[in-house]
Amino acid sequence: MIELRGVSKAFGAAPAVVDLSLSIGRGAFFVLIGPSGCGKSTVLRMINAMIACDRGAIELRGEDIRAMDPVRLRRGIGYVIQSVGLFPHWTIEKNIGAVPRLLGWSRETLAARVEEIAALLQIDRELLRRYPHQLSGGQQQRAGVARALAADPDIVLMDEPFAALDPVSRASLQDEMRRLHAETGKTFVFVTHDMDEALRLATHIAVMKDGRLVQTAAPRDLLNRPEDEFVREFFGREAMGLRLLDFVAVRDRMRGRPRAPETIGADASLRDALALMIERRCSRLSVTDGGGGKISEIDIADIIKGQDAT
Amino acid sequence: MAAGVLFPKPHDQVLLALAGFGAAGILAGSFLNRAPNRLANGVATALWHAPPLEAGAAMAGLAALAALAFHPKDKPRSAMTFGAAMLILWGCLSGAGRLASLFALSDPSAARYSLGAAFWILMATALLALLDAAQRANLGLLARAGLIAALGAGFALTANSGAFADLSLAKEFASHRDIFFIELRRHIVLVASAVFFALAISAPLTALVLRRPSARGLVFSGLGILQTIPSIALFGLLMAPLTALSQQFPLLRAWGINGAGAAPAIIALTLYSLLPLTRGFFTGVSEVAADVKDAAAGMGFSARQTFLLVELPLAWPALVSGLRVVTIQAIGLAAVAALIGAGGLGAFVFQGIGQYALDLVLVGAIPIILQALAASFGFQMLLAARRGS
Ligand SMILES: Nc1ncnc2c1ncn2[C@@H]1O[C@H](COP(=O)(O)OP(=O)(O)OP(=O)(O)O)[C@@H](O)[C@H]1O
Ligand SMILES: [Mg+2]
Repeated sequence: MIELRGVSKAFGAAPAVVDLSLSIGRGAFFVLIGPSGCGKSTVLRMINAMIACDRGAIELRGEDIRAMDPVRLRRGIGYVIQSVGLFPHWTIEKNIGAVPRLLGWSRETLAARVEEIAALLQIDRELLRRYPHQLSGGQQQRAGVARALAADPDIVLMDEPFAALDPVSRASLQDEMRRLHAETGKTFVFVTHDMDEALRLATHIAVMKDGRLVQTAAPRDLLNRPEDEFVREFFGREAMGLRLLDFVAVRDRMRGRPRAPETIGADASLRDALALMIERRCSRLSVTDGGGGKISEIDIADIIKGQDAT
Repeated sequence: MAAGVLFPKPHDQVLLALAGFGAAGILAGSFLNRAPNRLANGVATALWHAPPLEAGAAMAGLAALAALAFHPKDKPRSAMTFGAAMLILWGCLSGAGRLASLFALSDPSAARYSLGAAFWILMATALLALLDAAQRANLGLLARAGLIAALGAGFALTANSGAFADLSLAKEFASHRDIFFIELRRHIVLVASAVFFALAISAPLTALVLRRPSARGLVFSGLGILQTIPSIALFGLLMAPLTALSQQFPLLRAWGINGAGAAPAIIALTLYSLLPLTRGFFTGVSEVAADVKDAAAGMGFSARQTFLLVELPLAWPALVSGLRVVTIQAIGLAAVAALIGAGGLGAFVFQGIGQYALDLVLVGAIPIILQALAASFGFQMLLAARRGS
């Protein structure tokens, strides 16, 4: 869907992106992560032709972007900029409808779409009539995401879209994002600083440092086989093992007959199981299926010893 | 506590100050100056010599202002301030008119009655009190416009009934009545054409400096130099080349363009307007937040759409205020244009100075001030209309 081949960009003498190659498949939830100033935003802006690369080539849907009209190209890509950038003189409703209006949607289609997308991102209907300055930072970010999704683009670029949200609404929007991604099969390119966010959302993670790509992998592989010390450090050395537990379900490690009084669902992660054991001060849990019936058991030793088969 | 009862705290210091200002004006004397002819010095007459009804009204209004300063509630205070100010206005205008008429009964017909310092101070007091009341009552622009229209209509009706006919200001006006409206129109045409041309030049100039940062220094320093040339010098400087041009090209002469008259005046006024207008436009557009422009471009707005849908509406207040500054400046400067034969209200001012006829100066100066106020108010309306939509 999106191909970057040997892309470089320097601002004056300072290189921002160096010889970067990425292949982002259709339907990927591709997360770019790395320390501040490593060139993440620059990569996004090169994909929608806001910045021309100095060297290398970028292809979208199999077509070189230099051969495309940049304005048309951008209308076909959703883009959430890092600082949100809502139009201060337009209501939230009008902001969300900006691209559909450029594309000439009819009034009814547009109105219906705005309702739909607002509901999806949990934006109160009452907020739609307000102006951006009358919204909290988090509400503005949701509106920014809604605006990027409004015209139903098949590629969506998001630059730290949830940075201003509290952990609870952040988690709930992350769930929405994941659901939206699974349902629509859109290609998401998502920039973040937050490795938990990256691990929760991504199908692929690309770790960048000083404008270079350090490693691209599925989240679980990244945790299992970090390329180097930098990646290990970045994903929080000590916590890496704990984070790995997120990727394994209780179902995969349970065995034996249920005897313990405390229970946990089969689809919960090992991390949830461990947390429950610590909280309840026990070392074994009975595992229940969807109906609530106990089907098996999991022991703390099963969580700790069982190394991933892959 | 006791002190608080003995000396109550004023709730509107402005009113108290205005009342003091007005009272000082009255005591200073000269409400109306009575002179045997146009050139002689007059004898000052104080307000209390005016007919008792009018003099009483003006003084009562002033006393009311002072008392109202201690009224605790904004809304009723504003309403009553309005009444008191109207009382002062009516007392002054009608009082001056009737006093002049009384004098005229016994004086020779060459006698002149001109308005004195006390009159102007009281008028200013009343108008400022009105402004204060309008502000405190948080009057909307439409309500203000209505108020101004009502005041204007009331004044016009009174004037039409001949109440002021014996005042020398009215006499000067009456004897220049026909030419007054011609000069007024000329003045407006001078200002309107200059603002129009300035707009037509500033717009592309702004586009240039926005797009080419390298051109900024040159454009702004060039316009800055123009701005520093004194107006009379600039008018004079333009006369020579325009005269030469019109002698070269008969067509220009046929259009009425020559060294004197409207052409150099309009050119000079236009040149003066360029810097404030271009600078205002430039800062207005360039101060539109970068992230908003960025978002627009990133979402697929074309450069034109970004300009029309985002930059222009967001820069609108700056654009209008730039236009307002330039218009008011041109209204004032256009008065000087009378010196090179461009006409306009300045003609009365310079004629009046030449004849030592202060009332004739006022025939030109008052409408110039009113025009500037009207322009300022009009642009405020324009801004408010935009905000409301
Ligand atoms: N328009 C620009 N002009 C000059 N330098 C720039 C410009 N945009 C980015 N840079 C530089 O390029 C480098 C990469 O910037 P970029 O915005 O891509 O970083 P980032 O990874 O998005 O950082 P952050 O996480 O803080 O947003 C930085 O050193 C930055 O200073
Ligand atoms: Mg960034």
